[in-house]
Parts: sequence; C-alpha cells; structure tokens
Amino acid sequence: MAMSASRAPTPPDVAWRKKHLLDVDVLSLAEIQLVMRTTDAMKEVLARPISKVPALRGTNVTILFYEASTRTRVSFEVAAKNLSADVVNIAASSSSVTKGESLVDTIRTVEALGADMIVMRHGTSGAPYLAAEVFSGSILNGGDGWHAHPSQALLDLYTMRAHLGDVRGKKVVILGDVLHSRVARSNVWSLTAAGADLWICGPTTILRGFDAWAGRWAGGGSPGHAGFTVTSDVEAALRDADVVMALRLQRERMDAGLLPSLREYAARFGLTRERLAVAKPAALVMHPGPMNEGVEIAPDVAILDRSVITEQVTNGVAVRMALLYLLAGGHPEAVTNA
Amino acid sequence: MDGRQIMTADEIRRAVIRISHELVEKQAGTDGLVLVGIQRRGVPLAHRIAVAVEEHEGVTLPVGALDITFYRDDLSLIAQQPVVKGTQLPVDLNGRTVVLVDDVLYTGRTIRAAMDALVDFGRPRAIRLAVLVDRGHRELPIRADHVGKNVPTSSDEVVEVALVEIDGEDAVRIERVDAPAPTT
Amino acid sequence: MPELRVGKIVPLLEISRAWLVDPVGEREGPGEIVVRDGILEAVTWLQGAEADGIGPDGVLVLPGFLDLHVHLREPGNEDAETVASGLAAAAHGGFTTVCAMPNTTPAADEPGVFARVAGAAAASGSPVELLLHGAVTVGRGGERLAALGELADAGAVGFSDDGSPVKSAILLRNALLYAGMLGLPIVEHAEDVTLTAGAEANEGLVATILGLKGWPAAAEISAVERAIAILDSVCADAPGARLHLTHLSTAGALEAVRRAKAAGLPVTCDVTPHHLGFTDEWVAGARRWAWEALDGAGTVRDPWADGALVAHPYGTACRVNPPLRGAADAAACLASLADGTADAVVTDHAPHTAVDKETEFGLAANGISGVELAFGVLLAAVAAGRLPLARAVAALTVGPAAVLGARPGRRGAARGLVEGEPADLVVVDAGDRWLVTSDALASRGKNTPLLGRELPGRVLLTVAQGRLAYRDVAGDA
Repeated sequence: MAMSASRAPTPPDVAWRKKHLLDVDVLSLAEIQLVMRTTDAMKEVLARPISKVPALRGTNVTILFYEASTRTRVSFEVAAKNLSADVVNIAASSSSVTKGESLVDTIRTVEALGADMIVMRHGTSGAPYLAAEVFSGSILNGGDGWHAHPSQALLDLYTMRAHLGDVRGKKVVILGDVLHSRVARSNVWSLTAAGADLWICGPTTILRGFDAWAGRWAGGGSPGHAGFTVTSDVEAALRDADVVMALRLQRERMDAGLLPSLREYAARFGLTRERLAVAKPAALVMHPGPMNEGVEIAPDVAILDRSVITEQVTNGVAVRMALLYLLAGGHPEAVTNA
Repeated sequence: MDGRQIMTADEIRRAVIRISHELVEKQAGTDGLVLVGIQRRGVPLAHRIAVAVEEHEGVTLPVGALDITFYRDDLSLIAQQPVVKGTQLPVDLNGRTVVLVDDVLYTGRTIRAAMDALVDFGRPRAIRLAVLVDRGHRELPIRADHVGKNVPTSSDEVVEVALVEIDGEDAVRIERVDAPAPTT
Repeated sequence: MPELRVGKIVPLLEISRAWLVDPVGEREGPGEIVVRDGILEAVTWLQGAEADGIGPDGVLVLPGFLDLHVHLREPGNEDAETVASGLAAAAHGGFTTVCAMPNTTPAADEPGVFARVAGAAAASGSPVELLLHGAVTVGRGGERLAALGELADAGAVGFSDDGSPVKSAILLRNALLYAGMLGLPIVEHAEDVTLTAGAEANEGLVATILGLKGWPAAAEISAVERAIAILDSVCADAPGARLHLTHLSTAGALEAVRRAKAAGLPVTCDVTPHHLGFTDEWVAGARRWAWEALDGAGTVRDPWADGALVAHPYGTACRVNPPLRGAADAAACLASLADGTADAVVTDHAPHTAVDKETEFGLAANGISGVELAFGVLLAAVAAGRLPLARAVAALTVGPAAVLGARPGRRGAARGLVEGEPADLVVVDAGDRWLVTSDALASRGKNTPLLGRELPGRVLLTVAQGRLAYRDVAGDA
C-alpha cells in the first residue's frame, strides 16, 4: 500500500448484499471485483504459517453434495475450516432420493441440525433455487446440473487475472461440450461481465442454443455484459487466444447421438500442440478437470496445463473462503433470483 | 466534515514526533522494534512515526499493516461483511517488540482483535500500543502505552480522524451521531 | 339472496345496468336481466339515455363458460383434486359445464369408471354440468381400442388419451373411423414423444441459459401434421370423423390447422390461457404477460436484459405439457382466437399436490391449476387491447359448444342469453381485481404461477342450470 501522500480518492467499497450465491448471472462487475479483492486477502491468509482466521467461528457450514466429487467438496471443506467454521459433510447420493427423502425434506433436516450455510451440489438444474426457498440461511451453489458453477467461474476468472492482469479485451476461448457444461454457462456470465472477448467453440450439435444466446446479445450485448462469439471453426477460435479452456467430453454424448465418436471429436476439436500453435505464445491453458487426455486435450498439452492446476487448487480454496466469508454476513433483505 | 475540531494539522505533527521519542525511550533504543499499523488509518500513522524515528535516531524501523477484519467479534451482528483491506508484515514477529498503531482507541475491541491476529503470525516478545486519540469508554481491559491526545467523549459522539494520505487533510474532529447529514 | 346455498334454484335475481354479451345472438351492450325460479325470464337491452355510463369495464353478464378439457383427479389421486373440489373450482372460474379427461386411476376406459365419476358429481351437490371424455385405448396404453361404443352409450362427449398422444398411427386412424361412426371427436394430445424424452422446458434461450433440456416445437408440429394427414385419409370413408387438437402451443401447429380448415377438413382445436398469456420467460422468473414480452417490432425481448425477472426461477408451477413457449408462439395462440383458427379456449386444469410439485424442476409433475384463472387471463388480454371481449367470451362459450356439437337430451341453451331457458350464466365485475392466494383458490391444486399476483375481473356469481353454483362472499349480488 503506497504510503506517499496520495490524494487520489479511494474507490467506494461495494457491500455484498446477496443472501445466496446461486449463479454468477446476478453479480455486477463491482461485486465480481469485490470477490477478487477478498480472494487476494484470503490468499494472503493461506500464505501464513497458521492459515486460519476466526471469521466464521460459530457458523455451521453444511456441505451437501448429491454428486460424487472429491476435489470440489474437499476444497469447500478446507475453505470453511480455514475460516474456523464448523463443517458438516453430507454425501447424499441418489439412493437417498430413491429411498423417498425429497430434497426439501433433506434441507429442512439439515436446517434443524443447525446449519447456517449450505454448500450444495446437485445433478438437476435449479435444485439450489428450490433449496433457497425453504432454507432460512444461505445457499452456496457448488454446481447444479448443466446450469451453474459460480465458484468455479470466479476461480477461473481469478486465475486468468493473475496471469493476464485485466481480462478486458483479452481473447478467451472455451472449447468443448458447452451444451452440458455448467462451467461454460457460468463463465459466459462472468467473462462477459468482465469485458473479455469470449469465443465458444465446438461441433454444431453441441453449440445449439449458445448460438442463439450469442445472437441475442450481439451488437452491444446485454446491459453489463459484452457480446460473445460462437463458432465451430477451431482455428478461427484459437487464433491469437490469450486463454484456452478445454471442457471435458463425456462418453454419454455419443450415446445420445450428438457425436459420431470420441476419436472423431479428438481429431477435429481436440486441443493439440499444433492447434494451440495459432494462439498467443504465452496463452494460458486451463481445464476445470478431470481431464480425458487424448480426447479434448492432448497429453502433451495437458502437461503444460499441469502447472496451472496446482495454482487452481490454491486459488480454489481462496475463492471459496472469500465466498463463504461474504455470504456469512447478516442479510437485511432477501432478494429474488439471488 | 462538520463538527468541532479537536486537533489541528500541527498538533497531529507534534503528537507523532512526541510518540516517536517516547517509544524509543521506553525501548531504550530501537532494537527489536516493529511498527504495525492497524488498517486503515493506523497504517499511515505508523509510517509517519517511522519517518520521525529515522529523523532523530537515524534508524529505519520496519513498518507493517494489519487487517483485523477476520478477528472482529461482531461479524455475526452486522449487516454485511466488511471489506478486507489486507495484511502485509515485512518481518518475522518472533521475539520482536511490536508497537501497534491506531488512530482512535475506544472500546478496545479492535486492539483485542489485533492481538489475536498477531499471535497467529508468531510470538512477539512484547506488544505495545500507540494511538493518536484516546476517547475513553473501554469495554475490555486494554490501555495505550503512547497517546497523542486524551479526549473525553460521550457515547453519542463520533471521533473522525482525517489524514492527508487517505482524506487529503490532517485534522481530528468530534461530531454528534444524530447530527443532520452534511449536504454534499 | 344471502341465504341461498350452492345447488339451490335461484328464486329471484335482478341485475340492472350491466354489460351483457350474447355470443349466440352476436350482440353485446348495456342491459338488464331477470332470473325467476331458475329461469332466465327477461333479457332487456338498454338504449339511449338508460344505457349511459354502462361499459364493458363494469359488471358483465355472460353465458356460463364451457371447458372442454379439465383434469379431475378422482378416482385415484384425490389428494390433488376430487370431483367436488374440481366442480367448486370450476364454478369459481365461471364455468357451468366442464369435460373431464379420462387419465384417472383407473383410466375412464369403460362405463364403470364413468359411473363412479358421475356418482361423485351427483353427490357433490354442485349444479355444474360434468361431461366425460372416454379413453381412446384400454388403460390409455396405446395398444387396443377401448370400449368406445359402450362409452358413447354411457354419455362420452369425446375420446382422448390426453397426457399422451395416441402413439400408433394405425390406432389413431381406426379410432377416428370408429368414433366418427359414433358421431364423436377424437381429442388428440399431439406430441412426438421421441423428441420430448427427458425434455423440461421450451427449446430456446431460456432453456439454454437455465441448463434445462429443450422441448422442441417440432414435437408438436410434426404430431399435428401426422394427425391431420391421417384425418385426411379417413374422412372420405367416414363422414362423421372429427379430430380435435387440444392445447396447441406453437405457431407451426396452428398454421397446420389453418391450412387443414381451409382445405375443408373436419378438424378443430383449442388453446389454453397459459399458452397465450405466459411464456418460457416465466420459468426464468419473469411474470409479465406474453404480449409484453414482445417489443414494438415484434422481436422477443431478453428478460435478463430487461430486468423482467421478479420471481424465483425454476418455479415448478410453470412446468406444463406442452411447455410454456416463446412470446412469438404465445402471440400466435392469441391471434388464432381472433381469426377463428382456434375454436375454443380450454384450461387443461391440472391440479397437483405439493408433494408432486415441491421438488426439483426436472422431477416435477407437469400441469397448471387453471380453471379459476382462465377468464382473468383473457380479461388481461382484453384490457391490453389484444383481444376483443366478444371473442374472449365466444371462445369460452359458443366455440367449445360447437366442438361438442348438438347433444340429444341436453337441457339449456347453446351458450347464449336466451329468454325462457334455465339460467346458465356468470356475472363478473370486470372493473375489480382479486389477489390469487392459496386460500382464495377452491381447487386443491395451488400449482399456478399466478400465486401472489393480482388478476383483473372478479366472478361475482355463477348460475348453472338455474341453480346457484358460486357466489362471491366478499360482496353480494
């Protein structure tokens, strides 16, 4: 912090007023920047010898994951514990559902057990919105169906900013199965809010819907969001890219008739060294994981990505600490769609 | 800002100089001293004290900034989470004498939080406290070692410290809390 | 009339200075009516000075409404609705006749189930007339024709496997031929189920952004075109064959019906208030009317850009089959009423229990509880200048009556204001509004996205076959 007699006015601090974090679509650029600054502070905490602060002492954070996911679940658990919260981990599986316990019943039970905040991941789009209607505390969406994964998008943005400075005007390419990807949708909201030049690329069967979305936002975009480009031309997408994010392609997509084969996808759309050569030399390669090496990303490119992965893990804990911290404040008004 | 002015720029300057002499006198020198300013306005004050010490002792003391937001005891009571400013400590605190610097000492809860934060960074040999203004009304058993000015206040008053580095001027004012909002 | 209970003959009712609409006589204007001992004794049209100050924004007197398509969940799912609660809800909505779909448990595929339902109606004491559709196939399973003749003898007014299409083309063909012989229509729920497997919301921008599996318009359009083609192939052989396509939601399907009618085919269709009044934006949390979601140039607005999202997204009360479509399709539904392509408005009243609806969107049951809200939605369209009042009333009265056709033994007028006939009418205060709340709804199904919203038009009184069916307790008639 500069100690010279600076007379520049300091920017007004945006207060976090959202009771829940269900998606990035309702965050303004100022709120996103607040998350970034708070994440900086959390990274500093993580660098200390004792990487723990008492900010959430006495707060019960219940982690309710309906989908198996070790990486994200542990990231949230470590984040909550670093803030001295009491953590309860529930790995609900679909068998709870077949046993007849509805999502609403589970949320009510979790509330009765003392949860102040719930971090949830669910396989059905929209599930956290239902939870937010019946839970008196805060809901943090850890991923719902194909719809949203706000902490991942914010973590991706944080990592991009760490490497590129501001993402405004930088070319970011998301390559792969966007149709079924909550990471892709959330990144569209956050990157267009941050003013990046976003490109979405994949086979036409997988792009449908996104081209209409891009068309709706064309020519000026939506208020607070820049337009973005959708194309199945991999070379045009990757040319001079600053960031390339490859998304996982799943076998089920072939079974649903969307693609002829994974081999064909790898041949036409896989991120290889040759394809990556048209991007900027220092282009950042990212993948939300887990990777199918040889399908959406070639093994020799995956090695380049590896250095970013460790960074992503630390950034992930820091971003999640920031989100838990911001959500833990009291909330004078409940806001719809938030 | 409205309200009654209780310290002018010159008075602030002289208080900083006096405090810088006092803390060197108490330490019988400058060895082991670290100045840690509490965010936000404690930080420029800590830097000014270090500059004053350098002028009369010829020694540059290390200066750090401490954000106590995560250690506040009232986080669950307030409307929104306060925005974090950040902590930077330039040296290892183990075995050092830390002088905490803040602008106003009131209930003592900020200092309590600051001490909790400091022990997470190491084990100082001693912790001392220097403040520009002590306005009384302690709620915890905390006292300052070095005080710029003692100002008796009532609980419906607010003490506002302005510093050039942040506010563009140097002044300390008292204002009643229920005073009408200043027109801008 | 404060002591009169539901079901009793109305001894005397005089309404002066109201706006009358008579779709049979094709006349509307200021007037007065007198009902004595259940008979509509006098209908007087006012002229000149007496007519001053009376407009269609005050008290309306209309013929009682006819709903061709409701779901009363008895037998089998009485937690969601019983015949009694459903008829009470219908009366609250101004309906004096409703036609119940056969997708009960057991399905109404043989006269015994009809008898059960009819018995429940008689026991309810409601004067609202309950007509029944029979199933097309046994158990609605799509494999064998149900006992269509026996059902016709037992009083069926049509046949439908609604909830599902008649999947097999050959069965649909034979059903059209056989039902045509009986003089009754096949009421087809047109849906290509291979295109809608796992579908959740209308294929479009909202489904893309919300991460919901798209429900393509093609699923309805291709099924409609198939059904029309089959009808075309049989109507030469069976002059009585008739096809009625229910709850059409897409411009493409309505266009196919328009072409078929122009070619002289015996096809009719209906649209629902939710398909002409709501859009897929509502799934994202918008609550503006469909006509408000189009800008001046006819382009569909972006609810995220407009700040139009006022309710929670993924509201399961918005989940329905066919799904709420985009604003352009909704505009086509409204236009089809104006140009006569759609013969009727039906509610497709589909009450569900909270258990079936208070769940994740992808798992929620399809259906909107709508019989009490239909006229209010149409009045909103009328108030917005999107639909003439006369067309709205016709779509709820003479339009559906014509689809049913003449029925021997049917008492009462064919949905007009006719002196000397048993009174079958609804009195609405078009200038008032009412707040839709759980308690205000007589139906057991509270699954409507209009909960918490105000609707124009308050039904003051419903008289069915000369008997009191509903009376607004807030005021007095």
